[in-house]
Amino acid sequence: MNLFGKKDKESSPPVVPPQAVPKVAAKNSPKDMALDTTYFGKNLKVKGNVSGEGSLIILGSFEGEFNLTGRLKVAQGARIKGNVKATDIYVNGNVEGSITASEKVHLDSTARVKGGIATPRISVLEGAMFDGEIKMSKRTPQESKPASPGPQQTSPGPVAPGKRETVL
Amino acid sequence: MEKSKASGSTSLLSKNLNIVGDIQGDEDLHVEGRFKGSIKITGNIFVGQTGVVEAEVEADNIVIQGKINGNVVARQQLEIQSLGELIGDCSAHSIDIKEGAIFEGRSNMLRPAATPPASSQPRAKMRPK
Repeated sequence: MNLFGKKDKESSPPVVPPQAVPKVAAKNSPKDMALDTTYFGKNLKVKGNVSGEGSLIILGSFEGEFNLTGRLKVAQGARIKGNVKATDIYVNGNVEGSITASEKVHLDSTARVKGGIATPRISVLEGAMFDGEIKMSKRTPQESKPASPGPQQTSPGPVAPGKRETVL
Repeated sequence: MEKSKASGSTSLLSKNLNIVGDIQGDEDLHVEGRFKGSIKITGNIFVGQTGVVEAEVEADNIVIQGKINGNVVARQQLEIQSLGELIGDCSAHSIDIKEGAIFEGRSNMLRPAATPPASSQPRAKMRPK
């Protein structure tokens, strides 16, 4: 009998992992903080080019290009069409175009991305959709360490140094 | 500054940001950065002290504390505060220009009967096909 009307199966509210919500806990100057973060509400449609510094949160739709020094957050439900460049980029919404980050890219479970990604670090949550190609670029020089011969990111496999194969 | 909230949310363009393009929507807007292009919103615009807008602007209430260079249409009220600057023509239902403000251009008062049905413009839903 309840074939109808039971369509919306609401699962429990998604628990957002704390690191996915980059809220700055600066309490001393909330006003200054607030004025530092550009925010496009969900009823706003913006077309054009955005450049500059600061963090940006987008809930609405945007068409054009970003070239940002700072954090970009594409909220759930937001739509972006165009190329995006920022220091770090958190995607919870839709992006169509290439994404270039100088620090990292995070695709949340609600992300829908179509296009290429270039970043030194990436994380993708289960549920995210990604059609495209990832290029792991080098980190920006400010954080690049001088190539140390010490413990690198090599796999923790117990490969004894003597057993290393050398192909000539 | 707020006379009527459009949808309860205010978008912000912060100080160190440049946008070239156009903005549309149903939202209040606070500009502290630089914007060039056109703005047409159902809601209020506040151009803060550091805001520089070179655009055609249309909104319900407009408050200028920074600079606007371009023609302005305020469906309700236009307010230029004492640090504000408007270079361009304005059309408004009522105007409030504080001492010290700069305004260069023509002013045209909108009468209720002559008000175009701007507030009832269809909200186009842009969906990429």
